[in-house]
Amino acid sequence: MKKIYAILTAFLLTMAAEAQTLNVKVGTVTYSFPAEQAGDMVYTESGSMLTICGKTFETDNIDEMTIDEGQLSDNSVSVNYDGASATVVVAGNIARYITVEQTGAHVSLTQDADVDDTVGEITYTLSGTSSDGEFYMTGSYKATVELNGLTLTNATPLYSGAAVCIMDGKRIDLSVKKETENTLTDCASGSQKAALYCKGHLELKGQGTLNVYGKLAHAIKSAEYMQIRKCTVNVKEAVKDGLSCDEYFLMESGTVNISGVGDDGIQCDVDGTTSTGETADHEDEDSGNIYIAGGTLNVSTTAVGSKGLNAAGTLTISESTQTATVITVKNSGGVDTSDSTDLAGSACLKADTAIVISGGTLTLTNSGQGGRAINSDGTLTVSGGTIDAKAQGTNYGSSGGGRWGGNSSTSNHKYAKGVKADGNITISGGTLNIYSKSHEGLESKGTIDISGGEVYVQASDDAINAASHLTVSGGQVCGYSTGNDGLDSNGNMYIKGGLVYAICSGSPEVGLDANTEGGYKLYLSGGTVIAIGGLENGSSLTQSCYQASSWNKNTWYALTVGSSVFAFKTPSSGGSGIVVSGASQPTLKSGVTVSGGTTIFSGMGNVNPTVSGGSSVSLSSYSGNSGGPGGGPGGGGWPGGWH
Amino acid sequence: MRKIVLFLMALVGALNVQAAENYSYLTFEMADGETISVAASSMKMTVNGNTLTVGSQVFNLSNLKRMYFSTTDETSTTGIETTDYSQAVVDETAEIFDLSGHKVSKEQMRKGVYIVKTKNRSYKTTVK
Repeated sequence: MKKIYAILTAFLLTMAAEAQTLNVKVGTVTYSFPAEQAGDMVYTESGSMLTICGKTFETDNIDEMTIDEGQLSDNSVSVNYDGASATVVVAGNIARYITVEQTGAHVSLTQDADVDDTVGEITYTLSGTSSDGEFYMTGSYKATVELNGLTLTNATPLYSGAAVCIMDGKRIDLSVKKETENTLTDCASGSQKAALYCKGHLELKGQGTLNVYGKLAHAIKSAEYMQIRKCTVNVKEAVKDGLSCDEYFLMESGTVNISGVGDDGIQCDVDGTTSTGETADHEDEDSGNIYIAGGTLNVSTTAVGSKGLNAAGTLTISESTQTATVITVKNSGGVDTSDSTDLAGSACLKADTAIVISGGTLTLTNSGQGGRAINSDGTLTVSGGTIDAKAQGTNYGSSGGGRWGGNSSTSNHKYAKGVKADGNITISGGTLNIYSKSHEGLESKGTIDISGGEVYVQASDDAINAASHLTVSGGQVCGYSTGNDGLDSNGNMYIKGGLVYAICSGSPEVGLDANTEGGYKLYLSGGTVIAIGGLENGSSLTQSCYQASSWNKNTWYALTVGSSVFAFKTPSSGGSGIVVSGASQPTLKSGVTVSGGTTIFSGMGNVNPTVSGGSSVSLSSYSGNSGGPGGGPGGGGWPGGWH
Repeated sequence: MRKIVLFLMALVGALNVQAAENYSYLTFEMADGETISVAASSMKMTVNGNTLTVGSQVFNLSNLKRMYFSTTDETSTTGIETTDYSQAVVDETAEIFDLSGHKVSKEQMRKGVYIVKTKNRSYKTTVK
């Protein structure tokens, strides 16, 4: 069989080698006409004009014509950069549709408006190196631009200041060829919007590597949507955004690394005045949405007010069974105070409409002052994925009372929060590990509804806070506050199911705090609950609760409800007393040794472990009361503190 | 596996059809209908003023009507005088070319057809 292949291959090569091609060289441009396509090549106007395949040459301008056995694919144009010059080769079948202008290595190609479905898509292949050149292309029909080992710096803006500027408003495939490394750098002067600019739909693909330096504005900008598949894109520098586009951004695979940017890592805006929202297959979509459906994305931003990912619409993160989604965003930008009436905080993930996460592994760290790991101006919905979100910065300004020092104006502050949404937060799956050094960990300006997943939040203010109602009906939830309530709702709090481990910092805070002062209350009707620091007074407890007046710090406890065991480690400090509840009367042991099981809550919890040792904790019945916050049984507070 | 082999064979067949169209010549047609075929392989043509030089062939551009690839030598007898070599007068300044466009000397002329260019005219001659 191998011999057959070898013979056939050799024969095929022989066949191909016999083809003749006429090359018409005009300056640095060569037009290649295969013999079988050339047909009648007509001389007119006393031989001063020669027309081949519809392309008319002034014979005076022809440097030479040669015939060789070279093969150039139909519908192809190649541009090879070599220092201060570039050579262009145009396939004969489309020669009539391509107009070349060139000064040194600055190459401008105009694709005729007659290019259509009949002519077919033209592929432009760019290669070589120039420290002062550019590729500028205009047209009105979809095209492919291949980067096949191209290192191109535009030092002198001519057609534009970009290294690659595609002024074709249609779909542009930008294919980074396999096993090639390509580097684009634009000029620090000029009026270009990016080192790589596309007027139309930019679809980045291929299996090669593209490095981009945006010396004036963005690194890569598409005036319409942008898609990325398979290729590796390294944004090494940008004065503004790393990747910027309108309509929508979609990454399905590949790797994108963004650093050294002066604004956002990836930004997507709505092109028109009204969002279409997401459309079927993204047809005619103009939503400002960002979709990360696969691939590896590493973003590092340092600019004030910057966002790692910034969607004017919805930010959707998902993962397919074929392609993992791994996102790492680091932001140290802090607050943009250039508009003192509208401070702009930094965030790893930011969306104006909504953030929806159903899969992927996200590591989000914001160390900037007033920064957030996740910030949605709309809703936040999590149904899957593993999310590690940390706000490590301090707060900016004050809350009105000078709590964090600085300006006392209530508008002149920006709090560093782990995850914040102006709209409702809904969590039905996934694993969230949230930390906030200086303020709330997981906060909604609307409601919070947790029905699944694992949610661990550690914060210096309320660990989990809802401006309206907060409901837990499933999942595993731990709110660990070192400076306020474990779980706090400014409306009602409903604990209907799931596992809840709440830790407050100490009186007057409580583990579970509803807004009794505002006429709301805690409704505990189900689930397994451990509340260090107790429950809000006046609660409605339709599921029996039990209390112990004290607990030992940094100690493993085991709560058994029926056949289920939940082991939890107590904090190094926290509110007095402990309240527990389960579907049946629980038992509690202190000082146990835990092995096996499933570790949750960043190591502070374990589901169904093997438990040994320890001593039983005496539990007494607990009922809600009308005492003040932090009150214990009978409204008199806990008889003892933690030990 | 069988599908792959069949596909390759079909491809070979298709290429055979194409290969049958092996354009070995580039044929130039003059305004008066005369045609001259020149071997296409590794051909180089240059334009200088009003002349097109193709190997050893020099065409007056204003006399050229068209050119095209051909599979055979289509050098015509139409429009060019044919003279038996025995009757021809080949002076020392004449240039002699074979039908492949290669320049030859009088001594190199063997049995065949040649184009003779003199100051005043070009004609075709046959050495028998």
